[in-house]
Amino acid sequence: MYTSENIKRRNPVGSSAGRDQGPQQQQDDHYNNSQNQNRASVDPYGPNPLKPAFQHQQHQQHQHAGTAYGYRDYYGFGYAPSRREYSANKYIRFYQENDYILIPTLLTLVSFWTRFRDIKSSDYVVWDEAHFGKFGSYYIKGDFYFDVHPPLGKMLVGLSGALAGYDGSFAFDSGAKYPDINYGFMRIFNAFFGAIMVPLAYWTAQELRMSQAACIFAAVLVLFDNAYLTISRFILLDSMLLSATCFVFFCLTRFRNERHDPFSLDWWLWLAMTGVAIGLVSSIKWVGLFVTALVGLNTIEELWDLFGDLSLPKTTYIKHWVARAACLIALPFSVYVASFALHFAILQNSGPGDAQMSSLFQAGLNFNDFRNNPLYVAYGSKVSIKNTGYGGGLLHSHVQTFPEGSGQQQVTCYHHKDNNNNWFIKHAKSEGVPEDTGSPQILRHGNLIRLGHEQTNRSLHSHRVKAPVTSAQYEVSGYGDDSTVDANDEWVIEIVEENSHHPKDGQLRSLSTTFRLRHRILGCLLTAENINLPQWGFRQIEVTCDTRNRTNSPHSLWNIEQHWNDKLPAGEGTLYKSKFWKDFWHLNVAMMTSNNALIPDPDKEDVLASNPSQWPLLAVGLRMCGWGDDAVKFYLLGNPIAWWGGTLSLGVFAFTVCYYIVRRQRKFQDVTPMEWDQFLAAGKLLVGGWFLHYIPFCIMGRVTYLHHYFPALYFSLLLFSFVIDHFVNRPGVSSKVRNVVWAVAFAAVTFTFFFFWDVSYGIRGPAAETMKSRQWRGAWNIIDDHKPNTFI
Amino acid sequence: MLEDTLRVQTIYIVATASESTLRQRSTFPKHTPPTDSNASATEDAPKKVIKSVFTSAEKTNSLIALAGLTALAIISRFYKINEPDEVVFDEVHFGKFASYYLRGSYFFDVHPPLAKMMLAAMGYFIGYDGHFLFDNIGDKYNDNNVPYIGLRALPAFLGAMTVPLVYMTMREAGFPILTCALAAFFVIFDNMLVTQTRLILLDSMLVFFMMCSIYSYVRFYKTRNNPFTLKWWSWMIATGVSIALTTSVKMVGLFTVATIGVAVIWDLWELLDIRRRLTMQQFMNHFYARAIGLILIPVVVYLFWFYVHFAILTNSGPGDDFMSTEFQETLKGNTMADGIFVKYGDNITIRHKDTSVYLHSHEHNYPLRYDDGRISSAGQQVTGYSHEDPNNLWQIYSDNVENTKIGKQVKDKDVIRLLHVATSSWLLAHDVASPTMTTNEEITTYSINEDGSRFNETTFQIILESGGDKLRTMASNFKLLHQSTKVAIWTHAHKLPDWGFEQQEINGNKNLVQKSNLWLSDNIEGKNASEIDQESSKAVKTRSFILKFLELQGKMISHNAGLTDSHPYQSSPIEWPFLVKGISFWTENETRKQIYLVGNPLGMWIAVASLAVIIGVSGADLLSRRRGFYPLNQDVQKRFYYATGFFFIGWIFHYIPFFLMGRALFLHHYMPALVFSYMVLAAVHGFIFIEGVDGPISDAGPETRPRQLQRAVVPVIAYASGIILMAIHLGSFLFFAPLSYGTSAPSVAGLARRKFLPQWDYHFAK
Repeated sequence: MYTSENIKRRNPVGSSAGRDQGPQQQQDDHYNNSQNQNRASVDPYGPNPLKPAFQHQQHQQHQHAGTAYGYRDYYGFGYAPSRREYSANKYIRFYQENDYILIPTLLTLVSFWTRFRDIKSSDYVVWDEAHFGKFGSYYIKGDFYFDVHPPLGKMLVGLSGALAGYDGSFAFDSGAKYPDINYGFMRIFNAFFGAIMVPLAYWTAQELRMSQAACIFAAVLVLFDNAYLTISRFILLDSMLLSATCFVFFCLTRFRNERHDPFSLDWWLWLAMTGVAIGLVSSIKWVGLFVTALVGLNTIEELWDLFGDLSLPKTTYIKHWVARAACLIALPFSVYVASFALHFAILQNSGPGDAQMSSLFQAGLNFNDFRNNPLYVAYGSKVSIKNTGYGGGLLHSHVQTFPEGSGQQQVTCYHHKDNNNNWFIKHAKSEGVPEDTGSPQILRHGNLIRLGHEQTNRSLHSHRVKAPVTSAQYEVSGYGDDSTVDANDEWVIEIVEENSHHPKDGQLRSLSTTFRLRHRILGCLLTAENINLPQWGFRQIEVTCDTRNRTNSPHSLWNIEQHWNDKLPAGEGTLYKSKFWKDFWHLNVAMMTSNNALIPDPDKEDVLASNPSQWPLLAVGLRMCGWGDDAVKFYLLGNPIAWWGGTLSLGVFAFTVCYYIVRRQRKFQDVTPMEWDQFLAAGKLLVGGWFLHYIPFCIMGRVTYLHHYFPALYFSLLLFSFVIDHFVNRPGVSSKVRNVVWAVAFAAVTFTFFFFWDVSYGIRGPAAETMKSRQWRGAWNIIDDHKPNTFI
Repeated sequence: MLEDTLRVQTIYIVATASESTLRQRSTFPKHTPPTDSNASATEDAPKKVIKSVFTSAEKTNSLIALAGLTALAIISRFYKINEPDEVVFDEVHFGKFASYYLRGSYFFDVHPPLAKMMLAAMGYFIGYDGHFLFDNIGDKYNDNNVPYIGLRALPAFLGAMTVPLVYMTMREAGFPILTCALAAFFVIFDNMLVTQTRLILLDSMLVFFMMCSIYSYVRFYKTRNNPFTLKWWSWMIATGVSIALTTSVKMVGLFTVATIGVAVIWDLWELLDIRRRLTMQQFMNHFYARAIGLILIPVVVYLFWFYVHFAILTNSGPGDDFMSTEFQETLKGNTMADGIFVKYGDNITIRHKDTSVYLHSHEHNYPLRYDDGRISSAGQQVTGYSHEDPNNLWQIYSDNVENTKIGKQVKDKDVIRLLHVATSSWLLAHDVASPTMTTNEEITTYSINEDGSRFNETTFQIILESGGDKLRTMASNFKLLHQSTKVAIWTHAHKLPDWGFEQQEINGNKNLVQKSNLWLSDNIEGKNASEIDQESSKAVKTRSFILKFLELQGKMISHNAGLTDSHPYQSSPIEWPFLVKGISFWTENETRKQIYLVGNPLGMWIAVASLAVIIGVSGADLLSRRRGFYPLNQDVQKRFYYATGFFFIGWIFHYIPFFLMGRALFLHHYMPALVFSYMVLAAVHGFIFIEGVDGPISDAGPETRPRQLQRAVVPVIAYASGIILMAIHLGSFLFFAPLSYGTSAPSVAGLARRKFLPQWDYHFAK
């Protein structure tokens, strides 16, 4: 490494110590330096004194090997200096020799203590425990349910319940008191994931080649962030999501540091680990796709670097592609699919989520009553009708009317079973056949029918009125009743496919026959395309009459799901197995559709929701439970110093990069090329990680909550430490100043954490009395219940 | 054949050509392409200093092409400009605004004022007095005596003048005549540009000023080797003024600012490079010069138009309600000045600010049980009623029974009670769900004759949001905050069912910060009516320009973002380049004529393909250079990135930002980007068919190294393909012309033939 004596800092233009000669010189310097026994010139705070000694050997070994990345990124985030000075005192020496084990161990222990202590302080269901605890119960009971998140995290919750000896009988109603179940264990299980973020932060900082103090500081920021602490201590998915995100990022940095030795065992190991990790994180929540995008961008950059290396044989280059495709695409996808396979394997029984899935899938669940359906559907039957498209729902109507268009009764597709999904199949009025003519007449291809809604008696109707959202197509509504004669109520059945061993004889069978409903007058097809209606339609799926005659679109295909007809014999119960890939895809589309429906209701201000612009400066907290004076109250609030510091560091980093770039354009060398590359490479990943986890929330229309910021926060916290590290390790900063800066930083974060102790561990007694001094920002509703209206 | 196509002339200038001055001037020896025998015959002084790389014959040809294209442009825009003599599409707005300028009455619009003032000025010169308000599409101009042809002539003229600007911009950027003509031709015969620029709309001015900006910037960039000369300053200031004018037409002009801003920043970055050998002082001079020319001057110009705007609009008008009380008080004849102080004991009407309904009550009760099974208090209904009615009167009382404060003025934060005069009952809010929103509280009344046990439910705090600290009619906006349950009285445009006579629901809103909680006292009736004359002060107040400007600008931005109501002809940006959807501008039922806005479909689709070519070529170039191949000749590559790339950036900047906008968007928002895409199309055509480039085109400076003179070779195939493209474009234009001009009605079959995409929902197609 250089010291301030032997490198001219601001070498002016045209100086022989110009930038172009830099790299070679730097490497030589390093090389010579490591042979050099003059230890006094080595900065004890230089980058990464923590790297275990055996790895330095490797670096030197590859130092002059043919390089794929040029000198620039040859070492990923730079390389570790090789020697340290050891104390004569044997205890200190022991510490020095083993600090790379001792420090993370200590941090982890403290982390365990903060996360696990007093975890049973509230014996009632807090916040979203009501959801995730319940989902965990379903796994224990094996009941099929539906949720917008992938299954892995909830299966782990189920596992924790199973380990705790819980039988799945508790309903997890919000605010309910826990009965005799070991919820403490379930919470600890979750908190464990939150706790391991701390050592992961430490090791990641190490991989980013931060100094020892900075690595500890990064870990302490995570350790003493009140928000991370609070969210980890309940039965939620966030602690798993966060630790998995941290783990992905750790693997990524670790892998990047292996780039000097491609296709080595370590290289493969960490590449594969990265792949597995992104598979895991995406299987917990789709938010994991953001860190996956970070890995993707990093991979593109690496491949671009390699592409420019003309010395690299083409086959090697292709090998790089193949390795990454296998480990970063195929592997994560397998993990994701496996989590769904497990999900289907565990949930064998019929449950509350049935209606989201295809009828065939539902029929395959235990305790499902479809097998009692009469096989053949006839006039006079009562049926529910399922859209066969991926994520399709049941044809539904309710008393509410369209606010625009015809103003008639709404017809939608709905994903839950209720009586409003039931329709009677009746003769079309124009045919003049009297209802109830004794023996039921089985429906066949080409039959003309009218569908009467059981609850409201309205008929399924379409007319030349624009549909509310898909305005190019016609509206479908509920209109008239049995006494009304309207040709627009008549639909033609077109049988399309028979999914059973029965012959395709043009008869309509429940479950297995798919058919189209074609409007007799307009000739359009009854269609539901997973487009959510606005709030007035309760965000259910829009049903239209599609004039484009797209006969092969699954969204215009339907099948009879439930079928009641007293006059027909009950079905014999032969069931057809649905295919895994179809179910997998179906469930994912359904998740996406439901997720899209989670947009804020403009008529209803949600006190819990917050705007992304409120997050970086912590303008908002979140009440996780009721605020009664005698309740133990939890307020989701970050450590203000950590949050503000993290956000500030983004600005400082951006400014610093601009400053250096402009100065470099004038050939001022503020940092050595090696430092510069290291600074940029680590900063790019951290800032990129923050952006990828933050900006999407600003763009997406979905309702957002404070805890959506937590993954982004992790990157800003690391950046906070990174930026301080960069500035205190400049030449000209004395070790005194350095120590003072670190001391102040550590003290501030630690103090604030303890100051907000009650916020995380539970406010006891009236909030107004105890929390007055904690009200650092007027917008926090920690005492007064008001909707924060400041955006910054 | 190879030699034939590579006839790039290379003549080196001797560096010491003019040794006596020791300066390397732009002394390009006269050069002649071998094909031009006339020119080569006249070449007798090889060291003669020439100013341009182009020969005089070429210049003449270029002028002829320019004149011809301009003539075509004028014809295309002015053809039957008198038809239809009816209000078409957004003429409803912009014609109306011009009328308001001529009347001087204040109006509000989300766009900056310049283009509308230009229309008004045009109207003024042709003697139009602003009597017509352009209320509905289809209103007859001739019947109303409106000189609409004159009004349309301005946009049509500027729309036509965009064409020579496109041509000259391309020419200045160094493209051969064929390429320039191709770009101009595509701009002339695009149906969208034709339709949109021959009506009383703003887009013609927008595109015109936008092209002025681009043209000026290209000219400015070409003088970069002679910085701080008069020419350099002139073109820079011209650029600055043009971008300001563009932005003064529509805020979309900021995209033009961004396009030029990026180019300027990139240019400054190059200047900062140490190899350019500028001292820091020199660099800062460059920086300051641009700050003045491209930031300061544009800001002043932009503000100037607002100053004029306020200077013209001095009378109260339809835009009053959009502005704050303080602003309205500056307008002549505004109602704010009539505001009088409300005193305890007065009978007042209370009107909701957003929905303009009166707080109303009547002798009917809420039904005990609603349709959904919920139960109400069955108390007296309190509704929002939009007409004047004795039941709108409320008498204002203090909460203090002993000290009634009768006759004292009502102040901010006072706690009051409101007595419904007609039914003698107190306004009351309580914790019962409102008829339609379970989250909000029901508002009702209870009789004055009953005991006082519900006193606490009848007290409201009056919180003034504007207009001083005392309650005034008209001037004060206030919230009524229920004291015991902390809800604000609120209403929304939601009608109650039959039992509520379809009046508007009023309820207690828990969200206290909503803007829609605001009410104002409309009028005082009864008791103190006689005092009104004494109290009122009619003086018009003044307000500083900057405050007025900031308020208006803020309102413009927030209203623009608030234009989210869906519109049948709105479209999403992704559809525009592919012309997925059109807009019906105007129809006439008797004649079955219609104006339907679509671009020239074939032309636009070719343009999109050329954009793809740009991306493909630059991508391939990037990849091959990464692998050490340099497939493009250096000058061709430079032209490709600096000129074509600049236009491409223009397209990007005038298109992509729309994806981030939440408001309702329309096809015509693509117009600025469309012009860029046609320029890119022509440049890409040149890139494919024309060998080499003309150069150098920039002025040489004192330190410019001698450069290679080169000429582009335009082979026959380039002409042939260019003509084919023009023919396709023209054919497509003529095919759709009946819909663009609205002068003749195609038959049903004819419309069906013109329906290239199913989403083009023409009228009279059946």
